[in-house]
Amino acid sequence: MSTLAVGMMYGGATLAIMASGMPIALALGTVAVIFMYFFMPAASLDTVTQNVYEELASITLLAIPLFILKGAAIGKSKAGQDLYSAMHVWMSRIPGGLGIANVFACALFAAMAGSSPATCSAIGSAGIPEMRKRGYSGGFAAGVIAAGGTLGILLPPSITMILYAVAAEQSLGRLFLAGIGPGLLLVVLFATYAVMKFKAEYAAAQRAYAADPAQHPILSQERYTMAMRFGALPRVMPFIVLLSGVMIALYGGYATPSETAGLGGILALALIALIYGVWRPTDLGPILESTLKESTMLMLIIGMSLLYSYVMSYLHISQGAAQAIVAMQLSRWLLLAAILVLVVVLGFFLPPVSIILMTAPIVLPPLKATGFDLIWFGVVMTIVMEMGLIHPPVGLNIFVIRNIAPDIPLRDVIWGTLPFVLLMAFAVVLLCLMPSISTWLPNLVMGLPSR
Amino acid sequence: ATVLKISHQFPGGTATEGDFRDRLCRRFAELVSERSKGTLSAEIYPGSSLMKTNAQFSAMRKGALDMSLIPISYAGGDLPELNIGLMPGLVTSYEEGLAWKTRPIGQELTKFLAAKGVVIVTWIWQAGGAACRSRPLVDVADAKGVKVRGGSREMDLVLQAAGASVLSLPSNELYAAMQTGACDAALTSSTSLTSFRLEELAKHLTSGRARSYWFMLEPLVMSKAAFDRLSAEERDIIVAVGAELEEFGRSAAMQDDVRVAKVYEAAGATVHDLDDRLVQAWRALARDTAWKDYANKNENCARLIKLAMEVGS
Amino acid sequence: MSAHGVDLGHPVVVTAARPGSLTARIVSAMAVLNRTIIVFCSIALIAASAILSYSVAARYFFNAATYWQDEAAVFLLVGSTFMSTAFVQSNRGHIGIEALTGYLTRRGNAIRTFLVDLISLLFCSFFAWKSWTLLHEAWVDGQVSGSTWAPPLWIPYSLMATGMTLMTLQIALQLASQVDGWRSK
Ligand code: NA
Ligand code: NA
Repeated sequence: MSTLAVGMMYGGATLAIMASGMPIALALGTVAVIFMYFFMPAASLDTVTQNVYEELASITLLAIPLFILKGAAIGKSKAGQDLYSAMHVWMSRIPGGLGIANVFACALFAAMAGSSPATCSAIGSAGIPEMRKRGYSGGFAAGVIAAGGTLGILLPPSITMILYAVAAEQSLGRLFLAGIGPGLLLVVLFATYAVMKFKAEYAAAQRAYAADPAQHPILSQERYTMAMRFGALPRVMPFIVLLSGVMIALYGGYATPSETAGLGGILALALIALIYGVWRPTDLGPILESTLKESTMLMLIIGMSLLYSYVMSYLHISQGAAQAIVAMQLSRWLLLAAILVLVVVLGFFLPPVSIILMTAPIVLPPLKATGFDLIWFGVVMTIVMEMGLIHPPVGLNIFVIRNIAPDIPLRDVIWGTLPFVLLMAFAVVLLCLMPSISTWLPNLVMGLPSR
Repeated sequence: ATVLKISHQFPGGTATEGDFRDRLCRRFAELVSERSKGTLSAEIYPGSSLMKTNAQFSAMRKGALDMSLIPISYAGGDLPELNIGLMPGLVTSYEEGLAWKTRPIGQELTKFLAAKGVVIVTWIWQAGGAACRSRPLVDVADAKGVKVRGGSREMDLVLQAAGASVLSLPSNELYAAMQTGACDAALTSSTSLTSFRLEELAKHLTSGRARSYWFMLEPLVMSKAAFDRLSAEERDIIVAVGAELEEFGRSAAMQDDVRVAKVYEAAGATVHDLDDRLVQAWRALARDTAWKDYANKNENCARLIKLAMEVGS
Repeated sequence: MSAHGVDLGHPVVVTAARPGSLTARIVSAMAVLNRTIIVFCSIALIAASAILSYSVAARYFFNAATYWQDEAAVFLLVGSTFMSTAFVQSNRGHIGIEALTGYLTRRGNAIRTFLVDLISLLFCSFFAWKSWTLLHEAWVDGQVSGSTWAPPLWIPYSLMATGMTLMTLQIALQLASQVDGWRSK
C-alpha cells in the first residue's frame, strides 16, 4: 500500500474515532495501536508502554504540571481576584483594559514557561472568570487566553524552539532572541483586537440596554480616585514577587529551566500561605486537585500523541508528505507556502514537538538551499504551529480552556479563537514581508550570522 | 525487498553534508542498496524523529527497530556491562578503541551483545572534550567547585571525586543553563560540542584533537532478529559494508575533533589541548572511582574491564 | 447548551449504577480509593516542587552536587500522572470532542457512549497489560535508569501499571453502571 493511502487512512481513522467523543488521549492511543498491529512488526506492540514512558519521563515536559500548579495557586486563591481587581482599577478607563492585561500576563508568564498549555492554564484559571465577571463574552475571554497562551512557545524559553534549534543546527540563543520581536508583535495585535472586540461588545450591550434596561456587567461604570488606585497596588505585590523571584532564578543562572518550574510552584504556595493564609489541607486541596485534573488530562494526551506520532513516523506519513512537497521543485515562496500548509494540516493532529521532529530534517535543507534564513523560518514555523494549538480537533490550549470553563460551549470557544488564528496568519504574512521584525534583535545582540 | 529502519538522535543532513554520524548512516544505506541490487535498502530517521533515544536499544532487542547508531552506554541502565563504552580514561586514543574489535574485549562484547539480541555492524569511537563558560577545565585540580554536566554516571563519579558539583540536566536544556550560568561546564563528544552551539557561550574548550581521556563507543548496531531474518548474502553485505565504513567513521571523528577546536577559536574561546601527563592524571582518578564502581557491578563487568585494560596504554 | 453545534467534554448520558446494587457498591469503594490516591498525588506534586527548589538552594548555598533531583521529580510527576488518571476518568475529565452528541437521539447517544467506553476499555486493558510486562522485565533484569543516580525502573513502571489498571477498572465500572441502568428501566 502506498504511503499516501496509509496516510489518508490514518488521518481518516483519527478523525472518525475522535468525532465519536472518545477521550482524545485514548483515541490517539487506539488509532496508533490498531495501525501498529496491521502495518508494523509484531514486536512493536511490546514497545508501546516503554515508548510512552520514555516520552513522558522528561523533566522538560513534566515541568508542565508544576507550571499549572503555580497558576492554580494564584488563580484559585484570592490572590488571582486581588490581582485582577487591582488591574481593573488601573485599566478600567481603557476599553478592553482587562483583556489587554490578560494578554500581557500571558506574555509575562510565557517568559517563564516553555510550553503553551501551561501558560494558558496559569493565566486562564483566574483570567477567564474575571473577564466574564466583568461582562466579556465567553468566547472573547476564551480567545484572549487561548491566543495569549500560545506565546508560551514563541517567547523564550521554549520547548519547541530548543528542538528546532538542534534539528536545524541553528543557534538557540539567536532563535530565542528572534522570537521576541514577533512575540511582541502578536501581543500588540492581540491587545488591539481586544480593544476593538470590547468596543463591539460594549456597543451591543448598550443597544440591548436601550431595548430592555437590564444592567449588563460590561456597562457598569466605576470611577476610581487616585487614592483608590494606589491603595490597590499592594494587591499586585504577591504576583510581582513571584514573577521576579522566578525570573531572577532563571535568568540569573541560579536555576535550570526545569528547576524554575518547581521553584515557581513552591514560591506560589508559600506566598498564598503567608499572605492569604492558604495553607491548611482543606484550603490547598482544591488547588492541588484542579492541578492534577488538568495536568493529568494534558499529560496523558501528550504521552499518547507521542505514541501516535511514533506510528505516523514509522509509516513515513509526514516524511512522505514533506518529501513530496520538496520533490515538486517549487519556486522559493511556493515552497515556503506549501510547507506552511503542511504544518497547518499536521497541526490538526499533532502537537508542535512532533511536527518539528518529523518534518524538520526533510524541509530544512531545501529551504536553506533556496536562501531562507533558518532562524527566521523557525520563528515563522513556531507561529504556524501555535495556530494548531488553538484550532480543533487536537488543540491543546482549547482543551485547557474547556477544563477551566466547561460552561463555555465549544462553538463559542472556536468562534472566539478564530480571529486570533487570523491575526497569527497576518503576523506570518508581515514576517514574510519584513523578516527584520524577527531578525533585528538577534543581529543587534549577537551580530550578523556567520553561516 | 527489505527496508531497514535506521534511527538515531543526531541532526539529519545528506550523504555529503552534516553530522558525520548521520552521513555514515546514509552512506551505509547507499552502499547496501547498491551491493544488494536493491533487495536491501534503508530509511533513516535522524534527530530522534522515530523514537526517543533511550527507547532505541530496547526496541532493537525486541526486533521492533532494525538499526541504530547509538552511544552504547545509553543502554547501561538495562545492561550495566555497556557502561564500558564511555569509561573515562579507559581508552585514550582512536587506535586503542578500534583495536577492541579484534582483541578479546571486543569479542567478549560482541558475544555479550549477541546474547542480548544486538549485532555491532560498524565500530565507531569518538573523542570528546569540555566546553567551559568561565574558567578552563583541563587538569584534575580545575574541577574543584565547578558546576558541571558530566553526561554519564561514570564521568560524574570522576568529576565528583575531583571536587566538582555535578548536575543532571537534559541535553536540550544545556544551552539555556550554560547561558544563564546554572551550569559552568559540560563534557560531551566533539561533534555535540558544536551541534549544541556551546561555542557561543564558552570561553574555554578542552579539545580532544591531541589527546583525550574521554572516548565514547557509538557503533552502528542492528537488531539480531532483523539480522537473522536476512539471507546469507544480505548478511554478508551488511557485515562487509559495516566494516568498510569504520575507516570513514574514524577519519570523520578525528576531523571533527580538529574542526570543533577551530569553531571555538573562531568564536573567541581559548582552546586547551591535553598532554600525556594530564590524560594519565584523569585516568588514575577514574581507575580509583568509575572503573572500580563499574567492576563491582557484576562478574561480567569485572571481566570486561580487565580485558579492556589489556588493550590500554 | 447548543443542540446542533459540536461540543466538547460533556457526555450527555452519564448513567449512574442502580443504588444498592453490587456495581454501585464497587463504584463507591472505587471513589474512596481514588480520593485517597489523590491525596498522595497532591503530596507528590508538592514534593516534586520542593525537591527541585532544594536543588537550586543546595547548589547555591553549599555548592552541592545535584544529580538526583531532576529524576526524583520525574518519578513523582510521572507517578502522580498515571495514578490520578482513574480519578480524572471518574469525573469524565479526559476531554473528548462530542461532535455527534447534538445529532443523535437520547438512545443513540447512550449507544455511542457505550461503544466509546467499550473501545476505551479495550485500549486501556491492552496498555495496562503491556505495562505489567514492562514492569516484569525491569524487575527480572534489574533495570535501572541510565543516569548517575541510577534508580531502579520498577518504581515508575509499577506506578504506570497500577495507574492504568485502575483506569481500566474505572472504565469497566462506568460500563457496568450503564448496563445496570438500562436493565433497571
Ligand atoms: Na516561553
Ligand atoms: Na490543532
